Amino acid sequence: MDVAADIAQAAWVTGALALVSTVILLVAAPPLAWWIARTRSRWRAPVEALTALPLVLPPTVLGFYLLVFMARDGPLGALWTAIFGAPLAFTFSGLVIGSAIYSLPLVTGPLATAFRATDTGVLEAAASLGVGPAARFLRLLLPMHRKALVAAGTLGFAHTVGEFGIVLMIGGNIPGATRVLSIALFDRVEMLDYGAAHLIAGGLLAFSLAILVFTYRSLRT
Amino acid sequence: MRLRVQGRVIRGSFALRLDLDLALDGVTALVGASGAGKSTLLRLIAGFEPAAPAIVEVDGERWQDAAHPRRALAAHRRAVATVFQEPRLFPHLTVRGNLAFAAKARPRAGVRLEFDDVVESLDLGPLLARRAHQLSGGQRQRVALGRALLAAAKLWLFDEPMSALDADSRQEIAPYLHRLCRRHAVPVVYVSHSLPEVLSIADQVLLAADGAVELVESVAAFSTSFRKPLLGDEAGAVIACAFRRFDPRYRLSELAFGDATLFVPGDLGSVGPRILLHIPARDVSLSTAPVERVSILNRVAGVIDALEDQGASVLARVRCGEQSLLARVTRRSADELALAPGVAVQALIKSVAVRAGDVQADEGARG
Repeated sequence: MDVAADIAQAAWVTGALALVSTVILLVAAPPLAWWIARTRSRWRAPVEALTALPLVLPPTVLGFYLLVFMARDGPLGALWTAIFGAPLAFTFSGLVIGSAIYSLPLVTGPLATAFRATDTGVLEAAASLGVGPAARFLRLLLPMHRKALVAAGTLGFAHTVGEFGIVLMIGGNIPGATRVLSIALFDRVEMLDYGAAHLIAGGLLAFSLAILVFTYRSLRT
Repeated sequence: MRLRVQGRVIRGSFALRLDLDLALDGVTALVGASGAGKSTLLRLIAGFEPAAPAIVEVDGERWQDAAHPRRALAAHRRAVATVFQEPRLFPHLTVRGNLAFAAKARPRAGVRLEFDDVVESLDLGPLLARRAHQLSGGQRQRVALGRALLAAAKLWLFDEPMSALDADSRQEIAPYLHRLCRRHAVPVVYVSHSLPEVLSIADQVLLAADGAVELVESVAAFSTSFRKPLLGDEAGAVIACAFRRFDPRYRLSELAFGDATLFVPGDLGSVGPRILLHIPARDVSLSTAPVERVSILNRVAGVIDALEDQGASVLARVRCGEQSLLARVTRRSADELALAPGVAVQALIKSVAVRAGDVQADEGARG
């Protein structure tokens, strides 16, 4: 396979991975962020810490534990195989799970910050009109925080595009399935193919910068 | 509708004791100084204090019980619509969106007004396409009011809906509010610290003071009772008069107030045989000798019943037959006229406010 096709394929896998992970995060993170922002439970600090763990943990540590969990005889891997009849480790699905966990704090954090600033009076007003909790969440809270949702989703997407350590541990670098751009870059450098490495690195740099400019701009206006 | 509230609500270091069991029909005013617990009582009824050690019962239905705090009926299931001090509009929606949100909320017991009727009666038509931040304070509160009317409710709670508004916006909103309170069969609890505002529309009065809430027996007697919230600049008496006739030549209605006759501009014949008037104490002057040639039409003879010394001014209660008036005079006048309980006086009334909800053409009348 030539260099361009290899990079294109890795870019495709990277984009698909980031997109699917972001969609999953945009469904899972808002309720979690709302709970973190509003609860008075004594479990708040532990849950918040657990959510933030991927920010400080070396991705290889997270990747290692995920690998153990997703292995054929690991708890998650065994369950997955029992349900879908296929292994989880070294597959695209496994990568999606890992990426979602890895990028969770990037999506939950800004959402929790935005939710904390919510005018709860508006939600009380909705309740007094007869609007139930689910509708208040889906039809009021989320639309009120569209900007924060867009920003959080964008950050999650960009963060997933940039991940390396976890993919290295649980991905297996299979072209077309789990070979993403950051791994492809690593391979090119190892092969001393600096031309292709520049292409990938420069592309990722430009992409990340563009995404951050977009995010900060959309948060301001 | 019957409301029973018993127990306590604790907010920080403040505890409100409640032992109320009363019928809510028409307009129930809830008055008291700020911090006396007025909003707290409304929050309890509306379902925003589910953990309070209190019982809330409406028409025999237990909405909340101290013994089973987890079984408290959620706010959105209580057939109560609240208008808050602040409009609390949904910022991301237009006026139409705000109204539709209420109109489409889950059905529950109670009356729900028609969308078009609400838009028309509150003159919201021209505002429908705008967003909250494009509205003036008065317009926002009008939308909030309309939104509350579109939710199904068998009780309306108005929590100082005009307190955050400037004088102009108040003037804009007041007629709508008063008309609403009168026109629909839904009982209203109307919180205010402005007495003329509520005394002019209230059928009964709840007083929040000293960490408790009590029902005031008679609005007229209460208005002249010298109780703490009634002593400020807005002090005034509520009196009941009988309509006698309308004089088309001068466009004045003649009302019987005990033995005296009061003249009020406009034809009040449509209001009914019994008319309540609010007479601000600052608009009543006193004379110890009969005054004949003066432009003030409304002169009532009475006897000073009690005086409340307020430093530079004195608040006098003047007994006129069965009812009383309040007059605010300067300390100097009180000394020069030797005003004291038992002294016969003539009360000169400069202005009279008719219950605003009863008469639309004559919101306030000058005599």
